[in-house]
Amino acid sequence: MKTLVVYPSKELLYVASTLGGEVVALVFNEGEAEAIKGKAHRVVVANVDARLPDAVAEAAAKVAQGVDVVLLPSTKNGKTVGGLLAQRIGAELIVDATSLRVEGGALKAERYVFGNKAVATVEVPLPAVATVPPGRFQGEPPAVQTSVEKLQLDTAPKTRIVSVEEKARGAVKLEEAEIIVSVGRGFKKKEDLQMAFELAKVLGGQVGCSRPIAADLKWLPEEHWVGLSGKKVKPKLYLAVGISGQPQHIAGILESRIIAAINNDPSAPIFQNADYGVVEDLYKIVPILINKISKLKGQ
Amino acid sequence: MKIAVLIKTALDTSQLRVRDTVVVEETPLKISDIDRNAVEEAVKLKGQDKAYGVTVLKWGPLQRRIQEAENVLREALAMGLDEAYLVADEKLINASHAATAKAIAAVVKKVGADLVLAGEATVDNYTGQIPPRVAAELGWPVVTYVRELKVEGGKLVARRDLEDHVEVVEVPLPAVVSVTREINQPRIPTLLAIRAAMKKPINKLTLADLGISVEPKVSAAYKPLLMQRKKVVIKDGTPEEKAEKLIQYLKQEGVI
Ligand SMILES: Cc1cc2nc3c(=O)[nH]c(=O)nc-3n(C[C@H](O)[C@H](O)[C@H](O)COP(=O)(O)OP(=O)(O)OC[C@H]3O[C@@H](n4cnc5c(N)ncnc54)[C@H](O)[C@@H]3O)c2cc1C
Repeated sequence: MKTLVVYPSKELLYVASTLGGEVVALVFNEGEAEAIKGKAHRVVVANVDARLPDAVAEAAAKVAQGVDVVLLPSTKNGKTVGGLLAQRIGAELIVDATSLRVEGGALKAERYVFGNKAVATVEVPLPAVATVPPGRFQGEPPAVQTSVEKLQLDTAPKTRIVSVEEKARGAVKLEEAEIIVSVGRGFKKKEDLQMAFELAKVLGGQVGCSRPIAADLKWLPEEHWVGLSGKKVKPKLYLAVGISGQPQHIAGILESRIIAAINNDPSAPIFQNADYGVVEDLYKIVPILINKISKLKGQ
Repeated sequence: MKIAVLIKTALDTSQLRVRDTVVVEETPLKISDIDRNAVEEAVKLKGQDKAYGVTVLKWGPLQRRIQEAENVLREALAMGLDEAYLVADEKLINASHAATAKAIAAVVKKVGADLVLAGEATVDNYTGQIPPRVAAELGWPVVTYVRELKVEGGKLVARRDLEDHVEVVEVPLPAVVSVTREINQPRIPTLLAIRAAMKKPINKLTLADLGISVEPKVSAAYKPLLMQRKKVVIKDGTPEEKAEKLIQYLKQEGVI
């Protein structure tokens, strides 16, 4: 058994160690190699730009010879490299694997499919490629002896990065939030979101949102966006306010401990996906909640 | 510019047929939403040249799905594509992603293209792997998650929407590009366009027509995910009383 980890993190190296056998990591500079010393048996430092999926896939294909499983993070570049590499080595790619094991010459994995309305159990022959969603597996890779080697590639990449713009970012880390008050199109104006921020504040939580609020209306930056194409969150309380509860939104909140919802339409699908639902106009009930909860906390 | 657009006839996940497992064969198909954005972008960029759709049928049963796929492709033709290629072959039903990508690339090689456009991911499986796979198969560069696209003198300039930043990249043509839903607003075809689309060709192909063979299928089982939620709905009383009830429940759960 031999596993290659591309864009290694502690989490990915841990998952690789659970598969057993040798763990090889592919990194793109000496600093990264230094950081994972003792966590993989072999570290290969390739002289390619980590931001270029074509170049990374090229390097990974070189290192992947004789490898049984390749693991990558479920980032956009991770998934892109995964697709490129999988096609080059004639392997299947399992994206966003929620469980992984190797048995009888096959990689067995589970993942959510069909708008997260079903779980697929897939079995693919080795070699196989998989991407792992961040925060899914937690553990420490065991300490091992590490050998470091260099990989020199001389193909010139066709893609040129012209510029990089940072996205507007606040202090929002939804993936780590314990309480999330999430807003949807039930809010009529941008200014009204203030209510949700206040409620989140008295609860000691953060504010999330549905896709239209971030992508179409642009009332909040994308870091607040929850769902299939946004953040996957797992708070102990997810309070959805004025969100209808379409499957693509639910896809991001499956692992919440308690889901509560406020919606004035009793037939809104969110009520089928919530532990506690309140049928009420958010404009009436949210101020009351702010008031009551701040009193409660003040005690 | 000659453009191929990948169009997936995806399972309509809002109409999943569920018994002990998901009954894929009975679940209707629809166009994978983000592919509409890819079609729109192709129609905008093609100029005097042609833009065509490529569909490889993945979900069976084959015979019934052909009709459903034709309906989906008519929709894309009504939006402005000039023709479509539908690869329907028993060997591609539930095939590996590697096989699907190989079949798509074979169509692109046969018909020719300067650019392949696709959605960032398909609504049923949501993996986004087909665009890079097709690129690898063709030996072309790939640019994924693009929210803005320009063509300037044989080169593409694209804005990629990544997790924490937007990256502007430049690649030579031919290339494969996957687009996000933010790239444009897909047009709603007019009645006239819908009628005109009935006359546009949908070319049906098999693996034999493409001169390729594919590997054995992949085994997958789909179990419906049952929402284990309490579904307590508070609907009686004044807003004040409802708020109080909600707070009581959340306190009982120990989450506030
Ligand atoms: C490929 C794809 C990916 C997607 N990815 C995502 C994703 O990652 N995240 C996401 O969220 N969506 C995603 N979507 C979009 C999703 O399908 C829905 O369109 C979206 O979630 C709806 O957002 P919403 O609930 O805010 O708006 P709406 O569906 O418009 O719902 C608004 C709700 O507010 C309620 N309401 C109105 N007024 C009040 C009031 N005064 N008081 C209380 N309630 C009120 C209404 O009853 C309604 O239920 C995706 C779609 C596709 C096709």
